[in-house]
Amino acid sequence: MLNRRNFMKLSAASATIGLCGATVLTQAADLPEWGNKGYSRKTGRERKMVPSACYQCVTRCPNVTYIEDDRIVKIEGQLNSIRSEGVMCAKGQGGVNQANDPDRILYPLRRVGKRGEGQWKRVSWDEALTELSGRLKKLKDEGTPEKFMFHYGRMKSSTSKMVKSAFLATYGTGTIGNHTSICEGGKWVAQEFTWGGHFDTWDFDNTRFVLNFGSNALEAGTNHIPTSHRLIRAMAERNVRMVTFDVRLSNTAAKSSEWVPIKPGTDLAVVLAMCNVVMSEDLYQGDGEAFLKYCKATRDNFASVEEKVAALKKHFAQYTAEWAEKESGVSASLIRRIAREFATAHPAVVISYRGAVAHYNGNDTERAIQTLASITGNIDNPGGRCKAVGPKWKYPHGPHDKPKARKLALMDGPKGAAVSPNHHMSHNILKMIKDGSAGRPEIYMTYTYTPVYANGEVQENIDILKDESLIPFFVSINPFYDESAALADLILPEPPYPERWDWEDMVSPVQIAEYYIRQPGTKPLGETRDFGDVVCELAERLDMPLGFKTKKEFVQKSCEMTPLIKAVGGFEYMKKQGVYHDPKAKPVFFSYMKEVPAEKYEQETVILDDETGVYWDWKKAHLHSEEEAIKKGYAHTKKAYKAYVGQLIGNTVYSGFKPDKVNKSGYMELYSNLLEDKGVPPLPTWTKAPEHEAMDTDDLIMTTYKVATQIHSRSANCKFLTELYHKNPAWINPVEAKKRNIADGDMIKVKSAIGEIEIEARVTPAINLGVLAISHHCGHWQYGRYASGNKAPTGQDNDPDLDRIWWKGDQGEHPNWIIANAPDPVNGQMRWMDTVVKVRKA
Amino acid sequence: MSESKQQVSRRDFIKKMATGSAAVATTTVSSVALPAEKNKRYAMVIDTRRCVGCQACSVACKTENDVPLGETRNWVEYIEKGEFPNVRRSFLPRLCNHCEDPQCVSVCPTGATYKRKEDGIVVVDSDVCIGCKYCIQACPYGMRFINPKTGTADKCDFCLHRVEKGLVPSCVNTCQGRARIFGDLNDPQSEVSQLVATNATTVLRPEMGTGPMVFYIDADHTDERDAEKQGIYVRIDTHRRQQKRV
Ligand code: SF4
Ligand code: SF4
Ligand code: SF4
Ligand code: SF4
Repeated sequence: MLNRRNFMKLSAASATIGLCGATVLTQAADLPEWGNKGYSRKTGRERKMVPSACYQCVTRCPNVTYIEDDRIVKIEGQLNSIRSEGVMCAKGQGGVNQANDPDRILYPLRRVGKRGEGQWKRVSWDEALTELSGRLKKLKDEGTPEKFMFHYGRMKSSTSKMVKSAFLATYGTGTIGNHTSICEGGKWVAQEFTWGGHFDTWDFDNTRFVLNFGSNALEAGTNHIPTSHRLIRAMAERNVRMVTFDVRLSNTAAKSSEWVPIKPGTDLAVVLAMCNVVMSEDLYQGDGEAFLKYCKATRDNFASVEEKVAALKKHFAQYTAEWAEKESGVSASLIRRIAREFATAHPAVVISYRGAVAHYNGNDTERAIQTLASITGNIDNPGGRCKAVGPKWKYPHGPHDKPKARKLALMDGPKGAAVSPNHHMSHNILKMIKDGSAGRPEIYMTYTYTPVYANGEVQENIDILKDESLIPFFVSINPFYDESAALADLILPEPPYPERWDWEDMVSPVQIAEYYIRQPGTKPLGETRDFGDVVCELAERLDMPLGFKTKKEFVQKSCEMTPLIKAVGGFEYMKKQGVYHDPKAKPVFFSYMKEVPAEKYEQETVILDDETGVYWDWKKAHLHSEEEAIKKGYAHTKKAYKAYVGQLIGNTVYSGFKPDKVNKSGYMELYSNLLEDKGVPPLPTWTKAPEHEAMDTDDLIMTTYKVATQIHSRSANCKFLTELYHKNPAWINPVEAKKRNIADGDMIKVKSAIGEIEIEARVTPAINLGVLAISHHCGHWQYGRYASGNKAPTGQDNDPDLDRIWWKGDQGEHPNWIIANAPDPVNGQMRWMDTVVKVRKA
Repeated sequence: MSESKQQVSRRDFIKKMATGSAAVATTTVSSVALPAEKNKRYAMVIDTRRCVGCQACSVACKTENDVPLGETRNWVEYIEKGEFPNVRRSFLPRLCNHCEDPQCVSVCPTGATYKRKEDGIVVVDSDVCIGCKYCIQACPYGMRFINPKTGTADKCDFCLHRVEKGLVPSCVNTCQGRARIFGDLNDPQSEVSQLVATNATTVLRPEMGTGPMVFYIDADHTDERDAEKQGIYVRIDTHRRQQKRV
């Protein structure tokens, strides 16, 4: 593929979507090729290339992997991907280090000696699986499969379907923990209460203005490279302005047209005030007003647009820019100026992430942001905040007859801790196990997940995992010897992602689905085995065969079962090409406006719910009669959202904003009856973390962040990444530093309610007053020599770079030791950004 | 690319601060003496407006060229400056300049370091290099190191093994901002030629007379000396073992 051709393809692709001005290029005579072809530096020979997919972060960009002498030597972006358009981030480039880490676990390990003591014995897979399946069988035979708890970190797509939908479902345990609440679970819940299914896509290709609350889009993010490279392009080629509200000058803030320092936990105040400006200055008129037809803004689902406008005006009247200035430290005039700019720039996109939502008031922060986008008509439109579009793979589901899953109620935290933790409260699982009132698992198995390091309250996590009376048997499925694997009884070595199979399904920033697969560049090293293969064998040993024997077979079958893929050649096509998108597909915008055909809502079992205006299929909601359905009503029937058919607005039935996880209507619900009925204010409303109300004058709020060169907790073993970023000094404003007599580079003590750490200070004007910012990623005490200096039990000495680690002993400190595992009281999200600390010179 | 002409700088603040830097000079292609014959003259343009400091280039370079820990052929400097809240950060990717008059070449006693006639790439022949380190002293940009694996001098070679086969360098391939543009300056139609012709570009340390062939658009060349002169906070992170900027 030619450099310029590629460029032109890209601009042409964006041009078809809408407003993006295509760049006119002059054709040069002699152009170098862009890539997806590689040559050995040693021999000059062309390298074997395998199309695959990155899995350093959850974005899962399509990539290509180069192989030389049976080792993975190089990874680069997949040029045919409409998502990444062939580029990669530093982490993706560093993926080659995952496969070649000399501290990989190469064979199954069984603990000898005390738990956590670090004494291991090499065992065969047969020995390991005989023991494990014996224990699993016992629980199953005793009718207590729920005592097998499975807790996963990085598990998506085909692996998730094989493990969760097929293996665990057939086994019968529903005690399945995820890690969403420490990631973006709160954002998802807020979206489920407003527009239904979760995940927002930001259409940078077509936008005119970007308003950013707490997203470090250019360094990290759930759909990082596919969106970040488009954001740069929008800024560089179309002069799109971006205004970033952040407590810290992230690289995203640095590239923004304006950085607005804000007090932690007060984005909500600014957004509410912006809603005030839009409503009070009648800036909603036009696209915002037109969109209000599809919004719910009062208790009454049949309110007119005028009534909605009146209700919103009334509600937001209390949140003046002057009021917000007092809470946030952002000047009233700036709030007004940016609100006006956002409302009039159409199309404009408001983006948000953990900086704004991993707070006590995070649920309403995200709901307020959804509201701001709605009243300016920037929802699901080209250039706005869109509903994500991803591929729909078909796949084998395993045995037809599955038992009704039994589960221990460990996943949602203590009773009453959160009103609606739709994506659970994984950071409270170990606490719940300790508490014991909901029972305890006899087998606790983690999959590429490090509960010790990834959650707050690290010491408590260690104490619980070490305690055999709380957790009798701990199995870690892991490519690496991380801080959690070190406490396991049995480690089953998984190959890192460049040696695995998967089909992949991450959403697309161009609103056209991309299908892609991950395939191994080489055979799994040592005795490592893809966990997808392992569950197949476990199932056989438990006499419940799944109908497929390997992950590869599962992927192959999925390719043949998915009509779009089968039509172009199925598995063989995907192995060769790696990615596929339907060239005829049009970007999906305004999906809520689609009308539902009469034959759908006139079906016998479909009725109109008088309260909400929702058409729903009572039979699908497992009710027995129409009478029962009418009596109970849509909103009050368990999981009725699964039976949603459409939303009546005026005289038309629209597909609307389809509910997911909660029984909302098909409106964009700015006003939530469901939340109101649970005692939560129905419209986005200001609240503040109680501990922020009670701060001493010299307290700071500690926030966390990610950098462009590391993943949260699973990349410190990558030598080229850790060489770039191995220590994480705490950022502090010079004014705050001076008050405490702290100089740049000093060691400081940071004390929260639950503990104290010592860390180096970075005195910098690139952070707001009142804040201390410490990144994740560092301070490892395991994860091999590149991460921590400590050799893993199966570590080898076959990498000469091991002698060149120049940052030994200078590896930073992990902030999670002193961050409480506290939830957002509405959605259960981990409150990463709320910790009140005292800081002094060490 | 056509957009560069109309590009309006969003960072006037930074610009003002950057003026007065001794290290900058605006260069146009006409001021660079280029050989008239049909040979290529490979060069790179780095459009810092499009650079986000992501360091993908640094890691791509490491993996492509198997660069040992502690040494770097490519790095990205972060320049943070100003006083709160008027503080900005800009990014300056660094690599060998493949100079027209390379001092590393003139001091090399063995001829191991030379500029290729056919394309201007400055390379080291590790079979000939005796590891005397003269070139390392001579390069005004700190681009060279002794590779511990070979014991010979090493540096960016514009990914010669790729370029020879018609591929762009690895750092160019991965750059998410498309901030790095590689091509032939002797071809007036090439993107690098067009960019150099239509933008105010700068090179590093022009006073050294090396004729660098890495051109920057909108780069902030502030260094610690400027900081001292202007009495403002400036912090430069090199993201390499060698923490001082060269
Ligand atoms: S954003 Fe980077 S780390 Fe994440 S999948 Fe893409 S290339 Fe890999
Ligand atoms: S890869 Fe490109 S955007 Fe990233 S730091 Fe390098 S030059 Fe800048
Ligand atoms: S930058 Fe240094 S090493 Fe590169 S050509 Fe110029 S003088 Fe030689
Ligand atoms: S051209 Fe090649 S050797 Fe030079 S900096 Fe880029 S990747 Fe490294």
